[in-house]
Amino acid sequence: MTFEPIWSGIIACYLFLGGLGGGAFATSAFLAWRHPEAVNMRKIGHVIAPIVVIVGLVLLMFDAKAGLYNPLRFALLLTNFGSVMTWGVVILALFVIVALIAMILDLTKRRVPWGIELAGSILGICVAIYTGCLLGVCNTFPLWNNALLPILFLVSAMSTGMASVLLAGVFKHPEEFNRVGVFKKFHFCFPCIEMLLVASLMFITVTNSTAGYESVMALLAGKYAVAFWVLFVIVGLVGPTILETWMLFFSPKEFEESRKAHAISAMSDIGVLIGGFMLRLLVLIAALPITMVTPFVL
Amino acid sequence: MARYGMLIDTTKCIGCYTCRLACQRQNGLEPDEAFVRFEDRETGTYPQVGVEHVPLQCMHCEDAPCTKVCPTGAAHIGTDGIVQVDQGRCIGCLYCMAACPYQVRVRNSKTGAVDKCRFCHVSNYENGTEMCTCVTACPTHARIFGDLDDPDCELVKEINRTHAAPIAGDLTKSKVFYVR
Repeated sequence: MTFEPIWSGIIACYLFLGGLGGGAFATSAFLAWRHPEAVNMRKIGHVIAPIVVIVGLVLLMFDAKAGLYNPLRFALLLTNFGSVMTWGVVILALFVIVALIAMILDLTKRRVPWGIELAGSILGICVAIYTGCLLGVCNTFPLWNNALLPILFLVSAMSTGMASVLLAGVFKHPEEFNRVGVFKKFHFCFPCIEMLLVASLMFITVTNSTAGYESVMALLAGKYAVAFWVLFVIVGLVGPTILETWMLFFSPKEFEESRKAHAISAMSDIGVLIGGFMLRLLVLIAALPITMVTPFVL
Repeated sequence: MARYGMLIDTTKCIGCYTCRLACQRQNGLEPDEAFVRFEDRETGTYPQVGVEHVPLQCMHCEDAPCTKVCPTGAAHIGTDGIVQVDQGRCIGCLYCMAACPYQVRVRNSKTGAVDKCRFCHVSNYENGTEMCTCVTACPTHARIFGDLDDPDCELVKEINRTHAAPIAGDLTKSKVFYVR
């Protein structure tokens, strides 16, 4: 029996952009706390956060055609608090409001109060976790229905958020980019944690059920194997980890601040962004429900 | 209150798609909008082989995943345990389609809203045609519709006689029973 994934490209973009926005805001808050001199990179994070989330939401509205034709129906999104999507709408709305306030304050050269930074970061984390829970509550899809997925999406969200700020920073403000050492070390950790989480997810899901086995095998050795290994594992996780290990721990300081080193860092960040998107897309399209394999194929 | 259910005998089904067409006509569906989806399975070992046709449609689960995830309350369990989609509330986010383990929900290409087998509650309550044309149109009488709570109705008797069971066991407490 063939199974057509219901959600694919557009929803993958939305999950990716939602996580990226949450991560970018948390990045800005971290920069404001730990690297107060990196003013421009902090601003970049504050600008990216609301914009990407709004782009993601607009994509979602275009995908939800019945709502697009009757926009008033979107108000009904707040009626079923048993649905994770309703919680998501509330969290996203609050996040966008806080992120827009922070952006306006920062761009008009006023100080962003620490309360706003903290609230935005917490909401950003909630947005990232929500994107995992959205899939996680579909209890007949073993690849989604587990407690690891929201955490994996959170780690990936933080990683892609940081990568977006670093990527913009390395081109626009390389002098600040050179001075945010602590931040770069944090950024380095995330793909490493993500690798462990992905490996755990695969190990647990493969033994969960036949559908879990089929989903994981489609990723590891089936029709999505090339995308999984090349675009996600190599480009998105292993590549950036190797490049960052080299940049952070094994290269002389003069080289670290050269144009060449900046290009390598940019490549690593682009890799993280590609990997982040591929993670969402692959998790969306590879998941099979338990009904699709048990009654028919066996 | 009735608890409506259906029995589908796949040993009688010849895979002619009449039920699907009858349903599309009765409910005025778009040409690409089918509430009944067919799965074929090869059975036996060569040279004794056969093909089993399994018509799938909304199972009207008592434990319906679609109604739990629907953010607007459009998908809900309505009168007599029939899972319904309020077309005026649906925003077309497809969360219900993603959550449905049977993949039997379809999007109306004109309105963008999600729809599925209604057990023809519309016609029943609004003096339309009799319920479930898929049942009466079937040339081999593979389908029986009835009240699962009524021990004297044909549906319950046939389920007991044939030991029919939902397609995926007690996964979602489905109310469509299959003879395999």
